[in-house]
Amino acid sequence: MDGQLQQYLPVLILAVVAIAFAVGNLVASYLIGQWINRRRLKSIPAAKNIPYECGMLPIGAGNNRLSVKFYLVAMLFILFDIEVVFLYPWAVVYREMLAENAGLIFGSMFSFIAILFVGYIYAIKTQAFDWKV
Amino acid sequence: MNLQLITLEVVVTLIGATILLGSLWLPADKRRHLPLVAAAALVVLLIAHCFAMGVDTTTTLHGFGGGIVQDGFAICLKRLFLASAAFVLAMSAPFVERLRAGPGEFCALILFALVGMLFAASANDFVMLFVSVELITVTFYVLTSFQRHETRSLEAGAKYLILGGVATGLMVFGISLIFAGSGTMSLREISKLDPLPNLMLFNAGLLLVVAGLGFKIAIVPFQLWAPDVYQGSPTPVTAFLAVGSKIAGFALLMRLLRHTSRPETGFLLDALAALAAFSMIYGSLCAIWQRQLKRLMAYIGISSAGYLLIGVIAMAKGFDGTKAILFYLAAYLFAAMATFTVIGLISKEGEDERSEILNGLHKRSPGLALTLTLSIVSLAGIPPLAGFFGKFLLLQLLLEMAVNNAAYYWLLGIALACIVASLAFFFGIIRAVYWPSDVALSRATAPAAPIPTSLPLKISLAICVTGIILLGLQPDVFLDLIQETVRAFRWQ
Repeated sequence: MDGQLQQYLPVLILAVVAIAFAVGNLVASYLIGQWINRRRLKSIPAAKNIPYECGMLPIGAGNNRLSVKFYLVAMLFILFDIEVVFLYPWAVVYREMLAENAGLIFGSMFSFIAILFVGYIYAIKTQAFDWKV
Repeated sequence: MNLQLITLEVVVTLIGATILLGSLWLPADKRRHLPLVAAAALVVLLIAHCFAMGVDTTTTLHGFGGGIVQDGFAICLKRLFLASAAFVLAMSAPFVERLRAGPGEFCALILFALVGMLFAASANDFVMLFVSVELITVTFYVLTSFQRHETRSLEAGAKYLILGGVATGLMVFGISLIFAGSGTMSLREISKLDPLPNLMLFNAGLLLVVAGLGFKIAIVPFQLWAPDVYQGSPTPVTAFLAVGSKIAGFALLMRLLRHTSRPETGFLLDALAALAAFSMIYGSLCAIWQRQLKRLMAYIGISSAGYLLIGVIAMAKGFDGTKAILFYLAAYLFAAMATFTVIGLISKEGEDERSEILNGLHKRSPGLALTLTLSIVSLAGIPPLAGFFGKFLLLQLLLEMAVNNAAYYWLLGIALACIVASLAFFFGIIRAVYWPSDVALSRATAPAAPIPTSLPLKISLAICVTGIILLGLQPDVFLDLIQETVRAFRWQ
């Protein structure tokens, strides 16, 4: 094997162990369950298929519906979070580049923020931040 | 930095942003004029770019660290993109009532997709290639599913999203492999590298990038999404997908292959020749019995991609295919835009665009019937219209290639057989338009009233028909025009 790839052998082993552990547990619990049921009961009672929750009967459906507003906020967050991601490296090199290439360093970030600002106005105007609507 | 290279892109972005913001303050009843305003702006921009902006078509300019190039080829393509977006916006004007989500967003998204295509025309490194493809694709995810209240539009959007995601994944992986194999992202520098540091990685990456672009231009075996997505999308979006997105894919593919083709990557061109043959066969055979008009256009698009691929291979091999490809693209643009405009006018909201809606069109609107007939005839490649001459030029290239490599005679034979086979589909349409059977007429639910056509649409249809006829009857004029533009153009 390539020397460079050899370093990753422990990662590979860990991945194999992790997958084997997860699959093994599922298979083992299935087999043991079958074996016990065959000895004690004729069929699997319905109660055995209910998710276990501290001995209480579960209430309601498993998948709740979320308001679309949550997704909207998540989307807008990612959108404007990207802005910060770009602003950091830009701020680091800003002072150096200002001396030699002021137009490029200022113009690129200005146009980027201007485009995002259009999106921001659009979001405000379409009441994306207004939760009562 | 050379800002004049991206003037068009900046202006179109500004138009898009203005329309997006303007639509927020406009009263609702004024918003339906927005598509026409945007189309008019693009027409003005196109005319200015052709005559007033002093664009020098004979020199090749580089900018932005070699990422952007402006040459005759890029300029020709940019004008095609501007024209196709203007046609699309004009045809979406009567469509606006069906777009519940708002005309402002619709126009802005079309304009932003146009920006992606303009960048694609002059992309000269892999970063620009990827960003422009993504700008096109991501806007199309939204545009294809724009009619949210219709299940088939949502279905089209979901299919395009998933397959587009797969294509993007392939492309990014390919780009990373190419970078690993060559050590540079710039197409210019790759073409100068000899030998390549790692040929195997480079070849694998190239294969993946071509596969990713294959999704965009819908060649076999990456064509499966096309019929479903074309059928479900709003008609103007389908038109833009069939023309703009496809031309952009070809622009990128041509630049990519021209710069990366070398003896060691010859296997890719052979593979592409096989794919061209399969695309032509698949497209023309599936078109024969297809009676859903937008699906039919998808199959026509697939076979057209096959013909165009011949030109791309010829260019990668060093033949002068630019003229043939640009001519074919222009012919395809006019014919497809006219067809989609007529389909959009005839079909009612929520109606499946089957060829039955054409029944008796001749009696209802003779002008629309004639337009549709001319464009379908041109798409089928019957002389003397534009489509015929486009195919003729491409087959001529194929003959030139066959002189050195007899295997291309096979491809020529397949192409000729497919042209004959594709004559079949147009008879069904002509029959429905001019001589519908009595049974079909009695089943037709539409009243035989003439179809209202607004003045801007009449103008845009007239331009399309003029283009189809002029390109067919006087191809030399247009070829000289292209020649003039790409005269001093070298691939750099």
